[in-house]
Amino acid sequence: MTNFFAALEQLPLSTWLRESDSIWAYPTMLTLHTIGLALLVGASAALNLRVLGRGQAIALADLRPLFRWMWVGFWINALSGVVLLAADATTKAAAPMFLIKLGLVAIGVVVMTAQRREVFAPAASVTPTARALATVSLGIWFVAIAAGRLMAYPGLFFGL
Amino acid sequence: MSAWIVSTLKATSLSHFMIASTWMWPLCETLHFVGLTLLVGVVGMLDLRLLGRLRHLSYASVHSLIPWGILGFAINLVTGVLFFVGAPEQYIDNVAWWYKLAFLAIAGLNVLYFETTQARRALAIGAGDDTPRAFKIIGAVSVVSWFMVLYWGRMLPFIGTAF
Repeated sequence: MTNFFAALEQLPLSTWLRESDSIWAYPTMLTLHTIGLALLVGASAALNLRVLGRGQAIALADLRPLFRWMWVGFWINALSGVVLLAADATTKAAAPMFLIKLGLVAIGVVVMTAQRREVFAPAASVTPTARALATVSLGIWFVAIAAGRLMAYPGLFFGL
Repeated sequence: MSAWIVSTLKATSLSHFMIASTWMWPLCETLHFVGLTLLVGVVGMLDLRLLGRLRHLSYASVHSLIPWGILGFAINLVTGVLFFVGAPEQYIDNVAWWYKLAFLAIAGLNVLYFETTQARRALAIGAGDDTPRAFKIIGAVSVVSWFMVLYWGRMLPFIGTAF
């Protein structure tokens, strides 16, 4: 596995991303990663707030298009994330905070998929399960963002 | 002028605290990202509605989420000021920071104009209604200027010297 990450790091794209002074290299990938984050978590937060009883004038069923924006954000971040990982694959893959973040994002996406079924099931009102999922979703994204930020501060959070 | 602002701010205990504390900077960064998602989530939905998308929703219903967008903005204003007080020298001569402020001003004036002169007309937009061209322009200006705020914010460490 270490060999795989070392090879990834040696790819021309990775080297370019790491060493180029171009504004189109690392800075652009980071910007895309931030935009994807804003779309995914922004749309998710709006849905979660509505499920938890804010903005009740909005009919919940009408929020279905938000899922498209969440997935657009997710894929922007999956792709820009792979590219950012490739640039420092050996360091990042060995960083505990990176693995924690990946795990949190995975849980977040599972919750998001479960929400689609639960929230838009033909129930008369918001189910307790839907409320629980919305609360977990808000919490998971918050912690995932924190983990992503803490990747820039290795060792700060209890040595992680 | 900028040297005076930097030295005055750096002499404050708040500035010392921002730099001396191991936790404050990463904590404020995390909150800055959380505020950003709230702002983009709520303002983005409003902009889409102004652009004539999300047409199933009445404008008023989307507008009822506004307090959460304002909360996101307030979080970012507070954490942003803390960054500036903590390390003003990183920002004050940084062209990316000035662009960020300029687009923030455009976004702010746009929403100020809209909310003070068009609010009543906007709240009358019901589910299924298309929006007038003027509203589409305002929605587009909002999307583009907030995107530029994010872009130049992200560029701070690369164009200037900010961390």
